[in-house]
Amino acid sequence: MSKPHGTISRRLTWMNMLVSTVALIIAGVAFAAYDLATFRASIVRNLSIKAQMVGSHSVTALLFNDPAAAEETLAALRASSDVIRAQVFTPDGRVFAAYSRDGSPALPPPQIPPGLTEVSEFDASSVYLARVIVSDGKPVGIVRIRADLQEMYDRLARYALIEISVLLVSLAGALLVSRVSQRAISRPLAAVAAVARQVSQDKDYAVRAPHVETPYELAVLVDSFNAMLLEIQQRDRSLQDAQAQLEARVRERTEELHASNSELEAFTYSVSHDLRAPLRHITGFATLLHQHAGASLDDQGRRYLTTITDAAARMATLIDDLLAFSRMGRANVSKRRVELSQLVREARDEVSADVNGRRIAWEIHDLPPVDADPSLLRPVLVNLLSNAVKYTGTRNEARIEVGTESRAGELVVFVRDNGVGFDMAYAHKLFGVFQRLHRADEFSGTGIGLANVRRIIQRHGGRTWAEGALDAGATFYFSLPSQGGAS
Amino acid sequence: MTAIRRRSLAAAAALLAICVSTSEAQSPPRGEYEIKAAYLFTFARFVEWPARSDRDDSSFTICVLGTDPFGAALDTTLADAVIRGRKVGARRIAAAEAATGCHVVFVSASEERRMAATISSLTASGTLTVSDAPKFAERGGMIQFVTAANRVRFEINLMSARDAGLTMSSELLRVASAVRNGSGPAE
Repeated sequence: MSKPHGTISRRLTWMNMLVSTVALIIAGVAFAAYDLATFRASIVRNLSIKAQMVGSHSVTALLFNDPAAAEETLAALRASSDVIRAQVFTPDGRVFAAYSRDGSPALPPPQIPPGLTEVSEFDASSVYLARVIVSDGKPVGIVRIRADLQEMYDRLARYALIEISVLLVSLAGALLVSRVSQRAISRPLAAVAAVARQVSQDKDYAVRAPHVETPYELAVLVDSFNAMLLEIQQRDRSLQDAQAQLEARVRERTEELHASNSELEAFTYSVSHDLRAPLRHITGFATLLHQHAGASLDDQGRRYLTTITDAAARMATLIDDLLAFSRMGRANVSKRRVELSQLVREARDEVSADVNGRRIAWEIHDLPPVDADPSLLRPVLVNLLSNAVKYTGTRNEARIEVGTESRAGELVVFVRDNGVGFDMAYAHKLFGVFQRLHRADEFSGTGIGLANVRRIIQRHGGRTWAEGALDAGATFYFSLPSQGGAS
Repeated sequence: MTAIRRRSLAAAAALLAICVSTSEAQSPPRGEYEIKAAYLFTFARFVEWPARSDRDDSSFTICVLGTDPFGAALDTTLADAVIRGRKVGARRIAAAEAATGCHVVFVSASEERRMAATISSLTASGTLTVSDAPKFAERGGMIQFVTAANRVRFEINLMSARDAGLTMSSELLRVASAVRNGSGPAE
């Protein structure tokens, strides 16, 4: 926003100048017109006086037929530089005497309407005046004088010169005065404009336009503008305060959350760890009791012992899983390029060990390499495949499919089976800790596996979800960010 | 009033007719004495007379002393003529002593023999003396007609006029062919 031509200050100055100019020109023209009219009248009056004098001094010359005396009288007009021709006529229109400056041509006899003693007329360069010479109440001749208008034109030129000088001086004066007087308007406006520009550029609401007393409208404008700025400034400050408070509260809560989370994990870890020692004793002593007194026990006693041993083993597994889950919260993810197809094959071989001659049709598609931590991705695949194997146990022929879909910014891996499936109404519970959709005696499991899967995938920056229907199979998905995508 | 004005207009018309006719040919076309008669009348307009008890100032009288050279011209010229609102009349007189009541006396050339006495007598009685006698002005006459280049002009003896108590307009002096300030040759 460089300073443009159309500032208020300039506008006001121009307006003032224009008004002054127009006023001066109108006044000047009016004065000149009035003066010229007056001057013309005075020219006629002067000429009339000359004609009267010539006339009165020509009476005897006319009466005594003495043209020489009349010419002598006319010659006195030499003193008047504007008279270029003068003639005395006899009443019947003949030239009686003449005077000529610079050989000006003869004048025709004038036509004076009856009842008038004097007529005057103007042309472009001259004024003509004719007057009846009267003696003792009777016309004895006519005098006619032609004078040039040089003086009038000189006067006109002088007028023009004066007018132009006055115009220039007045304009200079008007410029000065308007410079000073328009400050009362333009200065506050310019100040408001500057402040507005500063506000919009720097977002600085602390600036204020200087207060003015007059003119009233500008005072209102400036004060309202300042009030607006104050309002904005206050809101801005309270907004910043609220934001700062909010941030502080979030930080506080996050810290609290972190603290309680790590507390919880530490607790889980230590509890799980501490539970293993008594469990080892239970398993160990149950085994010793079986060796030592197994033969002396009846069938029921041996069955109790077996139950104790099984329960202890299941509890050990549970504790291991919990420890693994807990560790996952703290473990570092070190990504690298991993052959997904190889990982899937290894996971399939691992879970196939428990199949015991079941018929399973594996369908594993071509799988692209991924960026992941293989030590973490493996348990994910093992978990999902073992789930698939587990929940297809009731099928004559189990079908398990592993494949990928490429979506915007991520690679989606899915594991599909034709097992018992689940009710989609409970899909949101699938990945929670200790959340089971089937009874433990139907399908074995600790209820930690899928929670662990979700945790690992989340730490890779991906998502987990599942689709399925009761008795119609299930599909479990997880996504990994694409190479070069978000880490 | 209306009648007077009408008469004066008529007189002016007559005068103008003379002026026009004289300027027309630059020489006296109608008789020399017709012009002189008109001049006699016109002189009176540029001369002021002092009031005198033996003269009736309610009218204006032009007298001819001696043999009248004008014939009918004078009476024709003066018919209905008015000077400063006064009627103008003409009289013929035989001697200077009979000039009482005359404002202007034209001294005919026939009075040559008694000229000096006539002039001094008329001057003493405050009368304007006019003549076309040679050396009339030089001898103390007030206005003397002279004819030069076929034009009727006149000389003035201002001193005589002053002696008679008459005041002559400077305009009249201006058109005189010569103005004397006493007896003797013109200046």
